[in-house]
Amino acid sequence: MSGLLSSGALLRRDPRLLKVPPYLSFLCIVIGVAWLLVLPLDNYSRKTYISENALLPGQVHTYFAGSDQNVFRGYKKEVDALEGKGNTEVNDKLEEFFKASGLKVARQKYEYKSAGETYSGENIYAILHAPRGDAEEAIVLVGAWTNVEGELNKSGVALVLTLARYFKRWSLWSKDIIFLITADSRAGPQAWVDAYHDTHQKGIQSLPVKSGALQGAVVIDYPFDHRFESIHIVYDGINGQLPNLDLLNTVVAIASGQMGIGASLQKMWRHTDTYKDRLTTMLRGMLNQGLGHASGPHSSFIPYHVDAITLQPYGEGWQDEMAMGRVIESTFRSLNNLLEHLHQSFFFYLLMQSSRFVSIGTYLPSAMLVAINFTIMAIFLWVKSASPPATAGKVASATGEKSAPLMLVQEGDAKALVPEIFAEEKERDFFLPLAVVVGSHFLGVLPLYLFNHTPEIMLPAVFFIFAVMNFVFPFLASTVLTRSFAPTSQQYQLIKAFSLLFLGMFLSTLATLNFSLAFLVGLLSAPLTYIRSYPGRPITTVFFIGLLSLLAPTTVFLAGTTYWNLGIGEVLKEAAFGWDVWGMNTQVVVWCVWWPAWVVGMIQLAGKPKDEGGSIKI
Amino acid sequence: MSTFTIDRRKAAVFGAAAAVRLLLFTAFPGLPELLTARVEISTPVTSFKRLQEGLFLYNHNVSPYDGGVYHQAPILLSLFSLLPNSTTYPSFTYLLYIVIDVLSANALMKISESGEAGSSKLYTSPRKDKKWTSYAIAAAFLFNPFTIATCIGRPTSVFTTCAILHAVSAAIAGQSFTSMFTLAIASYLSMYPLLLFPPLVLLCYDRRSSKQQDSSVYNFVAKNAASMVGLLYLLAQMSSTITGSWEFMRSTYGVQLLLPDLTPNVGLWWYFFIEMFDSFRNFFLGVFWIHLSSYVGGLTIRLRRQPLFVITTLLGIFAIFKPYPSISDTSFFLAMLPLYRHVFPLMRYTFLALSTILYATLLGPAFYYLWIYAGSGNANFFYAITLVWSLGLSILVADALFAVLRDEWEVERPEMRGKEIRQV
Repeated sequence: MSGLLSSGALLRRDPRLLKVPPYLSFLCIVIGVAWLLVLPLDNYSRKTYISENALLPGQVHTYFAGSDQNVFRGYKKEVDALEGKGNTEVNDKLEEFFKASGLKVARQKYEYKSAGETYSGENIYAILHAPRGDAEEAIVLVGAWTNVEGELNKSGVALVLTLARYFKRWSLWSKDIIFLITADSRAGPQAWVDAYHDTHQKGIQSLPVKSGALQGAVVIDYPFDHRFESIHIVYDGINGQLPNLDLLNTVVAIASGQMGIGASLQKMWRHTDTYKDRLTTMLRGMLNQGLGHASGPHSSFIPYHVDAITLQPYGEGWQDEMAMGRVIESTFRSLNNLLEHLHQSFFFYLLMQSSRFVSIGTYLPSAMLVAINFTIMAIFLWVKSASPPATAGKVASATGEKSAPLMLVQEGDAKALVPEIFAEEKERDFFLPLAVVVGSHFLGVLPLYLFNHTPEIMLPAVFFIFAVMNFVFPFLASTVLTRSFAPTSQQYQLIKAFSLLFLGMFLSTLATLNFSLAFLVGLLSAPLTYIRSYPGRPITTVFFIGLLSLLAPTTVFLAGTTYWNLGIGEVLKEAAFGWDVWGMNTQVVVWCVWWPAWVVGMIQLAGKPKDEGGSIKI
Repeated sequence: MSTFTIDRRKAAVFGAAAAVRLLLFTAFPGLPELLTARVEISTPVTSFKRLQEGLFLYNHNVSPYDGGVYHQAPILLSLFSLLPNSTTYPSFTYLLYIVIDVLSANALMKISESGEAGSSKLYTSPRKDKKWTSYAIAAAFLFNPFTIATCIGRPTSVFTTCAILHAVSAAIAGQSFTSMFTLAIASYLSMYPLLLFPPLVLLCYDRRSSKQQDSSVYNFVAKNAASMVGLLYLLAQMSSTITGSWEFMRSTYGVQLLLPDLTPNVGLWWYFFIEMFDSFRNFFLGVFWIHLSSYVGGLTIRLRRQPLFVITTLLGIFAIFKPYPSISDTSFFLAMLPLYRHVFPLMRYTFLALSTILYATLLGPAFYYLWIYAGSGNANFFYAITLVWSLGLSILVADALFAVLRDEWEVERPEMRGKEIRQV
């Protein structure tokens, strides 16, 4: 034991040990990325399965057929007739229909303001009280009047009306069913769910009628008349939260097992079950999760721990709206069976296709490894910043301890000779580095406020001005820093150490909340690990400045909008809307975690340490 | 002239600290409520929300301890019923808490200026000249995010902190009765400060004024213990007059001792006692309390020459092993630690310990969110992080202890200075 300890102590003095961390942290990044890439393989992902036995998906016979088709056609005609009418007029008519089915109806007006625009409307909903229940639990069937793309959800709304009438006839419901028709797919559901849980902002009406705790929600997004081929399931929630995997599995099992309808995810219309398709599905899922925006009306439910999904029929096929109705019916029968809230299956997962997934235990290490690379480097730089200059160490190790310079230490009456290098404690001057790093993090509030409070018309202009300022600012800051404080290379090391420490810390925390965002930000800021100032090497400096500029949040944003052919103003408006209405937090991560780390990286590149000999080599 | 400039620096530090707090109170009106509800800040025995509840009952002539929500000392009720209602006029409460923080910082500055940390009566550190100014130490306390969060969250633990700091500063000034009086108030408010009595009385003894020079240590301790008991009795008697019965003893100190309220907090007790079978409960309560108090004797004897450091270490240990700890206790320990700036170079794991604490600071709320709000995690998530948090704090406490011991050791054996040593 003592031998082990003393060898450990020897090892600590070994200069070779200090060479390891940069390679180790690079290895972390490489393994982290490789880890993600092997996930779609058969050996690393699993087939989905139903954990909650109470669900019994597809075990019941569905009766939604026959004469209900005529009812559907009738409602469809009425909905078609309401196209283009005002919100109130539409709701008046819908209220009539719900009342005719014998349901209790209520309405809710809402108004949100974001980026200088007003989003207002009126939701209408009807409650079917469970014949066998006690109004303590409810499931929601949602049909937004217009879907995310703004198209009229004709067949969807008609189907909700038909199902409301149809469900009313059954006596087997043990949970209340709420039929909700929101005015749109973005603000309406949020207003309704917020008000249902009494957390609504000003401008949103409270709900006059309520039922019990929501157990699940299913959204129908069916904006066309013709028959469809398969169902596209949208499951991403706000801020990357996901519904319980059991809900998704239930729908997939019912659609493909019972009804023979295919199910697809993440707009992978043709999934051939190859590695490439699985990877694409997973990456698309990660991107959606990372952006953290609402992908459908269901997204607003998920933050309240209500598991929800949107079902979108697509393609040209032979499945009719009645098949869609039967999928919903069977799903509701399964949800009706639940004895307690969905909790058995996974809340953190990545899907590669509708029947294959990886759970958090398998995929989390990849984001954690990327985040840990920053922490390793931070600790390394901290240790390095206090170690004596390399030359002194070399003398000692080359000529042995005997010839190392000795110094006289006197304490009271006792005197001793001590090798000088040991007595020399290089103190760290960490106040300035800490101030720079913390200051840059606080500075992130500025763009955060700016982009969330600018009216829509100004957004593109503000963005371009900011993007330009963004490239000038680090050089200005660096000049000010060099002029007024003249930081030493130790202080630059510490600036980097603190910055990386914070980045690693934020990202590993984020990885538990929103894995994809943590991974993406970690990957994009990975080069920061290897950035330092290169005094007297202008070409290297310019190269790294170029590289960092390519990876700046603003550049990445521009590249993203160009790649997906979106308008800058449009995306920024959506982001502001997400911030104001959905409670989206992606901006906080971008401006208060990623951007400050980037700025500090640039400041280091532009920096000129006072004593040039001591800068570290990695 | 010089005193004038010094006062200006002090005023600047205090003014800035007060301004930051006022800004946070006024610019983010939702923040106080949010922080008050955080389990990391408010514990069952310090929560401001529970104080409000007790106050409401008290003002309506119902016993504040009815309903089992309020577990704090009765004197707080009298104090807060003097203030205007905190929901209608919150500024008075804000000002009170800001003043308390500034008073604490003032006592801390006095402690720092005395130089007791570097050179006590029985021991002078060879490194004592390496120290921070008292302004820096006050600033480190006042601008510590934990302290600020505590101030905004308004738990009543700040009164205890303030009282302990004044007890220590009075002890250093040689005013043993004042010191005992403030410690009695602290103990009366939170009970655990009673454990600080041994090191504090020794500190008083070491710094006693010249007219007490002839009394022996036993006499001195006995005299102070007697005054402590007397003061505590007086406070308890006063409380029973305020509330009209002795019921408060059970609801305040009984709760600390018996832990009936298992609301999560950053400490280690709650989860352990959730999992505990009832038949073992009393046994383990005893074990936990004995464990907590066992540090007092050992540390007081081992570090007899530096009683202030015993107090500092004990505060660190309380922040970890107390029944209801919060970040306010941590911020208190972190406020005392900079007094020992001179031993920092001897500490080995500062960066590691502080990174661990920072990690836990971020992960704690995240996991609590996953457990309580998102429903995708469970209690183990949060408990795991409180373990990490306690680990970080323990490393810091143990490392500081190691550094001080090594500092003492190097005085005895100067030839070992700077040598690698091994802990066995």
